[in-house]
Amino acid sequence: MSIKNTWLLAVLLLSNIIVAQAQQKFTISGTIKDSASGEELIGVLVSVRELEATGVSTNEYGFYSITLNEGSYTLLYSYLGYKIDSVKISLHQNVKQNIRLANAGESLQEVHVQGAKANENVTSTQTGTISLDVKAISKIPVFFGEKDVLKTMQLLPGVISAGDGNSGFYVRGGASDQNLILLDDAPVYNASHLLGFFSVFNSDAIKDVTLYKSGMPAQFGGRLASVEDIKMNDGNDQTYHLSGGIGFIASRLNFEGPIKKGKGSFLIAGRRTYADLFLKLSNNTALKNSSLYFYDFNAKGNYTFGDKDRIYISGYFGKDVLGADKLFGVNWGNATGTFRWNHIYGPKLFSNTSVIYSNYNYNISITAANLNLGIQSVIKDWGLKEEFQYFPSSKNKILFGFNGTYHTIVPGNLVANDSIFNNTNIQTRYALEGSVYASDEFKVSERLRFMAGIRLTSFSLMGAGTFYNYDASGIASDSAKYSSGQFVKTYINPEPRFNANYMLNEVSSIKASYDRNVQNLHLLSNSTSSNPTDLWIPSSNNVKPEIADQFSVGYYRNFDDNRYEFSVETYYKIMQNQIDYKNGAQLLLNQSVESQLLYGNGRSYGAEFFFKKKFGKLNGWLGYTYSKTEIQIPGINNGNWYPARQDITNDVDVVVIYELNDKWSFSATWIYNTGYPVTFPSGKYEVDGNVVYYYTSRNGYRMPDYDRMDVGATFKCKKHGHFQGEWAFSVYNVYDRWNAYSITFQQNPNNAQETQAVLTSLFGIIPSVSYNFKF
Amino acid sequence: MLVAISYWLLAASCQKVINIDLNSASPVIVIVGNISDQPGPYVVTLNQTVNFSLPNTFPPVDGAFVTISDNTGIVDTLFETATPGTYHTKKIMGIPGRTYTLTVISNGQTYTSASTMPQLVTFDTLVVQQHIGGFRGGNDTSYTPNVVFQDPAAVANYYRFIETVNDTLQTNIDCIDDQYFNGKYIAYPIRHRLNVGDSVKIEMQCIDKGAYTYLTTVGEASGSTNVTPANPVSNISNNALGYFSAHTSQYRATQIKR
Repeated sequence: MSIKNTWLLAVLLLSNIIVAQAQQKFTISGTIKDSASGEELIGVLVSVRELEATGVSTNEYGFYSITLNEGSYTLLYSYLGYKIDSVKISLHQNVKQNIRLANAGESLQEVHVQGAKANENVTSTQTGTISLDVKAISKIPVFFGEKDVLKTMQLLPGVISAGDGNSGFYVRGGASDQNLILLDDAPVYNASHLLGFFSVFNSDAIKDVTLYKSGMPAQFGGRLASVEDIKMNDGNDQTYHLSGGIGFIASRLNFEGPIKKGKGSFLIAGRRTYADLFLKLSNNTALKNSSLYFYDFNAKGNYTFGDKDRIYISGYFGKDVLGADKLFGVNWGNATGTFRWNHIYGPKLFSNTSVIYSNYNYNISITAANLNLGIQSVIKDWGLKEEFQYFPSSKNKILFGFNGTYHTIVPGNLVANDSIFNNTNIQTRYALEGSVYASDEFKVSERLRFMAGIRLTSFSLMGAGTFYNYDASGIASDSAKYSSGQFVKTYINPEPRFNANYMLNEVSSIKASYDRNVQNLHLLSNSTSSNPTDLWIPSSNNVKPEIADQFSVGYYRNFDDNRYEFSVETYYKIMQNQIDYKNGAQLLLNQSVESQLLYGNGRSYGAEFFFKKKFGKLNGWLGYTYSKTEIQIPGINNGNWYPARQDITNDVDVVVIYELNDKWSFSATWIYNTGYPVTFPSGKYEVDGNVVYYYTSRNGYRMPDYDRMDVGATFKCKKHGHFQGEWAFSVYNVYDRWNAYSITFQQNPNNAQETQAVLTSLFGIIPSVSYNFKF
Repeated sequence: MLVAISYWLLAASCQKVINIDLNSASPVIVIVGNISDQPGPYVVTLNQTVNFSLPNTFPPVDGAFVTISDNTGIVDTLFETATPGTYHTKKIMGIPGRTYTLTVISNGQTYTSASTMPQLVTFDTLVVQQHIGGFRGGNDTSYTPNVVFQDPAAVANYYRFIETVNDTLQTNIDCIDDQYFNGKYIAYPIRHRLNVGDSVKIEMQCIDKGAYTYLTTVGEASGSTNVTPANPVSNISNNALGYFSAHTSQYRATQIKR
């Protein structure tokens, strides 16, 4: 497959060069921004009135480039929710044309729907991709009134929440560590706050989220199941704005404005929860002295130098603190930073250079009796990414580049201050990950488009350290010492990516894709809730890279002038070198954690139905997913295929938004999914006076099905000058369904002869209200 | 750690007892055998699993052929006592450093296990520590017994502590290895909280790795924080449940005074 794809890519590149030489052509290029805020607009359609079916979209920095024969044209710039702009151009030389598009107003229903952007889902080459505009999802009711892009994404077909109290999610049968979550290109290793009730993404600071479930573009890699490409707002480059919100458990503040009008802007956003304030009301002294909160900051700045250069600096910092009296404390958090430099080499060649930093760490402290312990763990990345986008003709978009990342993983250090314990250092691991990639998106004809790409990745585990080889039973057979900078083990993998779109007619298309993804960082977690003590390990002499091959085919159809869109996508995925744990595995602070692992294969298939009404007073969507995910691991269930934790057979999502008038809008969501597979005992026995449960098969049972409805209402207050206030009401779990968080077994406290099952639910009905403002 | 997190989650949550229709499983033999450096007889009990929905009455396995032998050639055939399923040794002695092999033949199946009795680590003293307040709050005073001993640095050591409070044997399984305190002189706190007037007796066992692995994983078999609970890792062959442990035993007792 990989050789075939490389060949195809070469042919496409070659054919393009021949075409380019045949005629006299010129290029129109530029950047498109929002006229009011200066925010760059991603995915604006640039089409040519005189040439039907010729069009390009702006890239993630608002840049576009279109190459046409000499002549006179009318260029149309259209973008959902914005007024269409048109520019007449007489093309005898390369033209630079920057555009500022004006917002069409608050309500989408007033926008006259026109332009091919509205049927992006049908025409784009990419399969399995959904973009969420943060403004468009702001009306969806959410937990405790905190808008959350990751939670909203879980309302899309193919994306399934890992459960209450868990920000983890499963995409097409992938485990929650198989999602690549990027914030301005920096990987986020633990995307949850407060043990998973909130994600780390403050919606005030987020511009756009794109989810890739299949046919991943070649510039992304490193996780098997999906990419969540999250972009921060750039800040308003025209005027200063202060906005914020005050809610039940959290407050937010957001400040943005120009550094120099039209040239550069900044944004600072922060939030802090105060759930622990309620604890102070408790009679229990231990609760009273406890802490439970998080805070986070987003900051971004950008500046344009001349016509061709622009730099961005963005960063995130967040921390969770959980403490029980003085006895126990844990804090954890992510920090990311990205420095980017956009450079326009010419009308057809755009480049972006990024320096990327990411850090996730946790600290645990325990002070009790004669104990005074600290446990620390860190995963840290430094990366460089260089990407070129080349637009040789309006039929062709070529992307190529490379990136390199140096990982430092401190799996856990035990620091004993004065007590009985020795300091214990689990060896720090170092790894160097590199990739080169190229892809070409190519219009073969008016009906047929291809996107062919290849990504070549290398992953090297490096010294210093002692590395053991474990046999199948987990016994260390031999070991070798390596010094700093020495390569211990290197894996090289080609990852072909291929997408095709065949337009059946103006409103419907069939798309197909194949992609291979390779994952070299693996999360070990054996806990039900999102756990700060998640442990990442690199591929090594024992742990092989995880590999997934996915085939996907879909049918896309729009109705009624693109007011309604419908799609059905099917996929089949084969996964190799999946990781599971031995019975009784000890993961935390284990020097030989690799001896606790088992390896096997996975497979997943499914169908996703998506029906969306995009405009009008009443809009929203309906999603249904059928899927099956199984794994096979020697040593578990006699080596037979068995359902994986993420095997959710049926999943239904309903999202309805009703905009009554300029003041009031209402929304509701309803979700249903099959309970996930769990291991329950089939028998019991007694050991030393304890009743012990006897298990006959792993994941042989299922949790009860999950369903929940949330409703929300937003009331926009009258505008006073520049001041705009808004009340947001929401009710989580409106019919007070006690969904299962866990089912555990215990001896009946009133009858020593009896064993009982206990269901724990986290949340019943929770109303909340928050006040948001902007001026 | 996880206990504390679970505690937080549970503070906001609700629990109820539900009915679950669990599959039945064919009965499996459960073997529990101990041999110590104290005088015998040593006891091996044989029982069976029952279905989850049944009462906690576990049928004994009687009429089995049970032997314990050591690596010096001594073989002792156990006899079944008046209590069905309970077998006693007749002559074998537990001596540190020797490896003991347990063999059980029942219903045509043979189950074996080997356990090596570690060298004794001296139980120096039992120290009682006073606490005021605590994790669950309040100003109550409670007391924790601490087992004080010098861990030898040269070898990996595994310990088990069995507590008897006011003549009631505590059934919780308390084991630790020296991974984090190798070579230190330590005071290991027993989790149980005691009150003034309580009498407490602690048995300190030095156990081997096989028994330790079983006893630490047995708790996880019913753990609530694990996504995938599993059967504990037994040191007995042929898919039998339970464990066999050759261990040293030392006892200390005290009474809690104000």
